[in-house]
Amino acid sequence: MSDSRYDAIVIGAGANGLAGAHYLARAGKRVLVVEQHEAIDQSADIGWVPPRVLRELGVNTVNIEAPDPWLTVPLAAGGTLELSRDVAKSAEAIRRISPADAAKWPEFSARMHTLASVLERLYLAPPPDIETRNVRELARIGALGLYVRRLGKQAVIDLARILPMSIAELLDDWFESDALKGALGALGIWHLKQGPRGGGTAFNFLHHHVGSPAGVFRPARSNVTQALQALQGVEVRRGQRGTVLAKNGRATGVVLDRSGETILAPLVVSSADPRSTLEPIAIELDPEFAWAVGNIKARGVVARGTLMLDRAPGYATLCIAPSLDYLEHAYDDAKYGRDSAAPYVEVQRTGARVEVHVQYIGTSGHPDLPARVAQALDVRSDQLQLQAAEQSLYHGELTLDQILFMRPVPGWSRYRTPIEGLYLCGSGTHPGGGIPGAAGRNAAREIV
Amino acid sequence: MSKRYDVIVIGGGHNGLVTAAYLARAGKSVLVLEKRPRVGGAAVTEEIFPGFKFSMFSYVVSLLRPEIIRDLNLPRHGLHILPLESTVTPMENGDYLAGWADHDETRRELYRHSPRDAEAYDEYGRLMHFMAQAVKPILSMVPPDPTSFAPGDLAALLKLGRHFRGLGAERLHALVKLMTMSSADFLDEWFETDVLKATKSASGIIGTFLGPRSPGTAYVLLHHYMGELDGVFRAWGFAKGGTGAVSEAIASAARGFGAEVRCDTGVSKVLVKGGNAAGVVLENGDELAAGTVVSSLDPRRSFLQLLDPSHLPDEFLSDIRRFKFRGSSGKVNIALDSLPVFTCMPDGGPGGRLHRGAVSISPSLEYVERAYDEAKYGEFSRRPYMDIVFPSMIDPGMAPPGKHVMSIFVQYAPYHLNGGWTDAKREAFGDAVVNTVESFAPGFKSKILHRQVITPLDIERITGLSEGNIFAGELALHQLFFLRPAPGWAKFATPVHGYYQAGPARTRAAESWARRGGSRRCAS
Repeated sequence: MSDSRYDAIVIGAGANGLAGAHYLARAGKRVLVVEQHEAIDQSADIGWVPPRVLRELGVNTVNIEAPDPWLTVPLAAGGTLELSRDVAKSAEAIRRISPADAAKWPEFSARMHTLASVLERLYLAPPPDIETRNVRELARIGALGLYVRRLGKQAVIDLARILPMSIAELLDDWFESDALKGALGALGIWHLKQGPRGGGTAFNFLHHHVGSPAGVFRPARSNVTQALQALQGVEVRRGQRGTVLAKNGRATGVVLDRSGETILAPLVVSSADPRSTLEPIAIELDPEFAWAVGNIKARGVVARGTLMLDRAPGYATLCIAPSLDYLEHAYDDAKYGRDSAAPYVEVQRTGARVEVHVQYIGTSGHPDLPARVAQALDVRSDQLQLQAAEQSLYHGELTLDQILFMRPVPGWSRYRTPIEGLYLCGSGTHPGGGIPGAAGRNAAREIV
Repeated sequence: MSKRYDVIVIGGGHNGLVTAAYLARAGKSVLVLEKRPRVGGAAVTEEIFPGFKFSMFSYVVSLLRPEIIRDLNLPRHGLHILPLESTVTPMENGDYLAGWADHDETRRELYRHSPRDAEAYDEYGRLMHFMAQAVKPILSMVPPDPTSFAPGDLAALLKLGRHFRGLGAERLHALVKLMTMSSADFLDEWFETDVLKATKSASGIIGTFLGPRSPGTAYVLLHHYMGELDGVFRAWGFAKGGTGAVSEAIASAARGFGAEVRCDTGVSKVLVKGGNAAGVVLENGDELAAGTVVSSLDPRRSFLQLLDPSHLPDEFLSDIRRFKFRGSSGKVNIALDSLPVFTCMPDGGPGGRLHRGAVSISPSLEYVERAYDEAKYGEFSRRPYMDIVFPSMIDPGMAPPGKHVMSIFVQYAPYHLNGGWTDAKREAFGDAVVNTVESFAPGFKSKILHRQVITPLDIERITGLSEGNIFAGELALHQLFFLRPAPGWAKFATPVHGYYQAGPARTRAAESWARRGGSRRCAS
């Protein structure tokens, strides 16, 4: 054992970093978390928080919002479409714009929920290792296969057929209403540099449906990061960025950027994105692995920010995505490096905060973006504060070639890296962004 | 009562003919029924203008499996494949990118554009070569049904699993990437030269309704590599006498084994008695009896047109109705007074080799992607991706002495055009094609003697391919393998006993079905 004060250093105090740190602390390790930002991030956590994480870590201060209706969609003809948590009530609302779509809503909700339940099962454990010869792992894969087949023939066919599909094709199979398809389709492109006609967007849609009840197609919003922050048991140092140190193929600790201080530890776990974690120690990496890390697609397409309103809005979530073609046009701009002329905008009210999600952004400068968003929302642009993310907020887009055993890079999906003692635990790893705490938990369990 | 056949094959395209040849070889009495005056389907040679012969639709040969050429002894029946050696891509700045038959020369050419890419090129070629070989046996497998608990399906699934694992981790990962990525993203990992990526990714979009940045196109990239196993930049070939000669050779082989081939004989219905296929009804009302009926038409026509819906389960019907065709390409056939001169290579290279190979109009990824954008919203591309060949340069018999024929494959031309296809739209589409070629080869227009413009609607009307889709069903990940054409029905059998499918929509395994299991199944 080294004589350092810590057994493990975790980089990043987001939900995954903190969850990972606390799991390690529960296993008896002395853990230090280093976080680059001084202030605690007040923004809401968006995504399903696995109840198991909260239970196992004894977090009881978390507040998970379940707004009802969960989505408000302005209609071109005036009025709004309100989608509720109650499937029948949603169907009733849909009936006003399309009786045919209303009739299909219950079955669509049930089928999607079954598929998402398969993903849910996959997400609370490391991804299946398809190259394994280990009997236990093979049994686990077999059990998963059996689980899927027991869901019935329809589920097997749906899985094979729908996962590689585009969300546009999936929705066109079911519905006719542009407003409904636009609102649902938006979830399929979340944080992806793809339009709704891109293959794999149906998977992205299901990914973001995991953990929600049937008929609810927006992830939960919570304060899980803040709740984890309040938990005792690990030391957190804020205000300095930690960079991994490695020597002779072994992690030795981290160095802090402002003070230049070096903190030693035999175990370093990074919840930062894989590329920025590994680039500083590229010299220690095998060229094939470095090539794969360099190839991680993590293109930023989202701007997030806050909206200042005079009084709380009457909706919990407002979605501006009037049709699939609207989303596709918005993507076309991004494809050629520009901000969307007419972006997809979603307003999310969590407690007293009103946040906005704007997609897509281009590759350089965004001078007109606030004005365009303000126009879409019918507010003044000085009521908006936007931050464009040049890198994927998920540390790697959730495309089919970057999930499961391909995430973060093919063959290294078990949170390990070729550097001994260096692990990854952020959204760049399985199961990816939008599930706060899951990667941190999986990684910590893999380590101990 | 006329003669009763063991097997009636509907459609005299190459898939129908190959199936008939194998069945006849296995001793069955076989009748092939073709609606048009000649066999071939989309693989026909026609003298469209006096003295000028064209491979009207399909124009290169690559996916015809070598086993079939051997088994049916096609060379003896007149098949002669001439190599198509090179591809030249003219660029907007007047330069070009060439891929030559000689590997070292191609590397030198690439080096001119990017030394890094020239380095990566060999490794990329090795990977694709290997992947194509790894995927081939899967294509020729009868796809197992993963929803079935039958021992045969379980064993086949297991075998498939073992095959994948046998690839080794690195190649398995490459396969996953190929199956899921866009060709642009996949190529971005390897190369930096835009025109190289554009030209390569163009082969990933042929016949699809997708752009180079659409996920799923990397797989099609591989599909088109199957004919490229010797590691040559592009090992496609021409058949002497045009692609119709391929069909004629297969028909001749089939006849040699005793099959009967009847042209000008359209089928209107498949007869079903007691749940079993019993024969066919011709368009003229005649009935022909057979114990087995094989349709080589696409799934939509095989099931929705030839069969009464009452013979099919509802779920199957709705799956077939949902199966997507969306033709996206057209063809322009041109009779030329003389060869066009391309700005990028005015002398046509040593020995005029530019015109002996393909000319790819894919100057940049953005160019191809923009061509797709227009199609996405229901318009034909104003500046389309084109694959141009001059068959008369390789086979002088295709045109009168001194004159030439030019074949232009064009993408995108959506079947579902806004407002629908009209004669005026067809000509506007032809003009867009000619004007775009003119921009790379000034003076081209003045050399045109005749032109024939074929839209996806024309392809559908003439060949019967639904929506003019050249693959008889879109190549998309969710429409492949056990999902093609309907989940659970990929095994050539159909819900009607004694009625089988054979055609490109049945994955490429159709031929091998006929070769191996097919004859046995039909016998039983």
